[in-house]
This record gives sequence, C-alpha cells and structure tokens, in this order.
Amino acid sequence: MEQEPQKQASVDTAVPEPPAKPDSPRLNPDAADEPEQVIRPEDEALVVERLRELGYIE
Amino acid sequence: MQAKPNIILISADSLRANHLGCYGYSLPTSPNIDAFAGQGALFEKVFAPGIPTQPSHTTIFTGQHPVTHGVVAHGGKAKLGRGTPFLPEILLGEGYTTCAVDTLFRERIWFGRGYEYIIDPSLHHLFYASVTQEELNDRAIQWMKTVHKQPFFMFIHYWDVHYPYVPPDRMRGQFYKGGNPTDPDNHALDEWWDHPVGAMAKDTWLRTPNGLITDPNYVTALYDREIRYLDEGIAALSDALEKEGLSENTMVVLLADHGESMTDHRIFYDHYGLHDCCVQVPTIIRWPAGNLKAGTRFAPFRQLFDIAPTLLEAAGSDLPEDLDGKSFLPQLTGKEEPSGYDRVIGCESTWQSKYYLRTDRYKFILARYPDLLGNPDRELFDLEADPGEDRNIAAEQPQLVAEMEKELEAWIAEKMEAAGRTEDPVTKEGPVAVEIWEQHRG
Repeated sequence: MEQEPQKQASVDTAVPEPPAKPDSPRLNPDAADEPEQVIRPEDEALVVERLRELGYIE
Repeated sequence: MQAKPNIILISADSLRANHLGCYGYSLPTSPNIDAFAGQGALFEKVFAPGIPTQPSHTTIFTGQHPVTHGVVAHGGKAKLGRGTPFLPEILLGEGYTTCAVDTLFRERIWFGRGYEYIIDPSLHHLFYASVTQEELNDRAIQWMKTVHKQPFFMFIHYWDVHYPYVPPDRMRGQFYKGGNPTDPDNHALDEWWDHPVGAMAKDTWLRTPNGLITDPNYVTALYDREIRYLDEGIAALSDALEKEGLSENTMVVLLADHGESMTDHRIFYDHYGLHDCCVQVPTIIRWPAGNLKAGTRFAPFRQLFDIAPTLLEAAGSDLPEDLDGKSFLPQLTGKEEPSGYDRVIGCESTWQSKYYLRTDRYKFILARYPDLLGNPDRELFDLEADPGEDRNIAAEQPQLVAEMEKELEAWIAEKMEAAGRTEDPVTKEGPVAVEIWEQHRG
C-alpha cells in the first residue's frame, strides 16, 4: 500500500536550521498612525449571523 | 516503571506552519514556540488529510482518514459513527482524567466524547472564535492545579489565529512595513469582497475609524500579531506547567488543524484550497521524561492521523485495529530511525470538493466538482521548481497526471472498501458552502 511508512535518512543534519531572527518584533515608528481595530458587539453578532448562513456554525 | 504521562494536546486553529520562526519565517512571530520546539521534537512535514476545522479535528481524534471516518466537510451532513475510536474516550478507559478546554462540542456532538470535564469560556462571547488564549489559559491552568487524579489528558483549542484577526491593541506597529493600511485607492483585496467571508470581514473587523483596511500586507500583519499573541499564551501555559512541577512527565503536543491562505491562489485569509499553505501544519512535541532528544527535527512526511496512535502508545494503550495512522513514538524516543510516508493524500468538501496527492516532488489536485475560482479540474505542481504552487503544469505532463490520478482513485477505492462505503464521501457531500457563495456573487 502506497502510504506505508518508508525509511528515510535521519534529518538531523539534512535539514537547515531556520534563519536567525532579531530578538524582538520591529516596532513601526508609524504605529500610532495605524487604525485602531474595535470589534463591536454588533459586528460580532453580524459575524455570527453570516457564519450561520454559511452553515459554518449552528 | 515510569508513570503514564499527562498529555496536553494543543490545537492552534488556522496556524500556518511557515509563519513560525521554527518553520523558517523571517519575522519574529513565535519566540516562545521556537524555544518550545528547541526543547522537544519538531516535525517539518506534517499534512492534514482533511480540512478545515471539523474534518481535521475528527481526523486528529480518530486516527482515521476522512474517507474512513466520513466527515469530509465543515458543516456537512455526515456524522461520526458511534463505534469509531475516539482518543479521549480511549484515554478515559485507560484511567486518564480527561478535559477539553474547547468549543467544538457545541458544533458537532462527537467532539464531546470521552471528556469528564468540558470547559468553554467562549460562552462569554457571541462568536466562539473570539475567545482568547488568556481566557482559555486561565481555566486550563486552574484545572491542572486542582485535578483530582493524574494522569490527565487535556485538549486546549486556541482560536486566536482564526479570523477575525483582531489582536490586542498593544501590538499595533508589529510586522507591518509601513504604508497606508486604509488607502482607498488600494484595490488588492477587492476580489475578496466577492466571497461571503470576505464580505463579512469588510462589514465588520476590517472597518476602522480611519476607514476600511485595504492593504493585504496589513491584514497579514494582523494575522502575524495574532500568532505572537498566541505565542505568549504558549509561554504562559508552559511556565505554569513548570511551576506546578508537571513539566517533566507531561507530553505536550502543539499542532494546527490546518494552515491559512493569506492571498495565495486568490484565496484570501481563509482555509480552503489544498495547497501547502493550508494542508501543511506545524507539529511540535515536548516530553522531557520521554527521552526525546531536544531540538530534533524530523523531515519525513507524517499526517495528522498519526497523532492519536502516538499518544495512545505513550499512554500504554493498545491501539484499535481500525486506525489509518501509525505511531511515531519509537522514532520520538530514538528507538527507531526517522521514517514516514512517501506520499500523502487529503481532501476537502466545504468551499470546494477536491482531493490532493502529494509526493516530495509533485502535488496533484483533482476536483470532484468545478470550483468557483475557475481552476481546472486537474492541477499539477512541481514543488521543487515551484514551491508556492503557482504554475499548473498539468497540460505539460499529461502522463504524470494520468498516473497520479489512477493512483489516487485506486487509493480512494481501497479506503472506501475498507470502510464499507459504496460512495466517495467527497462526491456524496459536495461543496457544502458553495451555494451561499454563488448566491452572494449573484
């Protein structure tokens, strides 16, 4: 059966490590200009209503 | 003899593997998850046999492929058979105290099977996916401190990374390269408004006092901020385990049910389409007492149906015979060499009804019904030359398409026969949400 596990070489040395990252998120100096997101109760209710229509939630 | 381990299974809904540092992302979304991976084992190529949430979690808990258990759609008609093995139910029988900090049982009753405790702080929200990691952790940590009997199994289902992406306000400024998030002349998201989920986003969480968010880079930054927020929650949970002296013999598994498309393949901020951005999922396991070699990375293909047998074996349970998955515990503990599958098969039947067959080199996607994006019924991608799956080469490789289609159909037929099915569940279910999409587009 084609989905049977197949032996493969150990990957400890075969897989490159992820790239180095800076220590902390870069803070955008323009952050204050970014929009404030506020999801109001009526927005959340609309989300629920739409997802119910889709059958995503009951 | 070592005591049975506690087991914490964490599902981070919609967490895309390659948006984590330990999976190669260039932005610092996940310092704590990266550290967690450094203490345990990371599986680089784990695939979801079924997406999105309901089919995938059903697969995780049953150890079966969707063609076997029959739940191929989110919001579909199929029900899980009562006799189908279910992870928490088996662990309960093995003497575990079982707890879900989760909402799924509200949608499909089988997700409540086997739990002595179900804790659901999402009841405080209109939409369950608005529940935060802090709310879940508050309850989960308190429960761990007071559980009357170990070993315990706890399932925690975080929704932070699932839409709507509304990260804490204190994260404003992170991961956005600058620009105007609400530029009215930016029409890069216009196609999304033709989709019901996009229209919902436009009418709700993308509306701000500054205007409508129109920059996809900004929406992606919101998604990444949600990952960073979740990452804080993973750290808090991990710290609590340490503080309670539970860290050593608790096996913690962090995975996702599916990934997320950003704007890939004209699928905006959602989890359908069988491309790797959605079907490849992060999977990290930490278990200090289990002799896992810290920082090990496993490259062979594995699938989410391997999780249940692996956890059952760790718990010392006999494995049910009707599982599709195979335990990788002996590999985790160094008793066997790393191994996996040479190809994986998966499906979806929510916004579109399709199968995929993926090898290391190629991805073949076969549609049971035409999709609403106008993609051809047969797509082939050379993942070596085109890892983003942007160029369909099916017309250039008809022989390979025929071979992969034949193999896929034979596999489906074999699985159906083994499960006693007379009809392909993907064909039978059809794309359950597509009618709404068609109506929306008019």
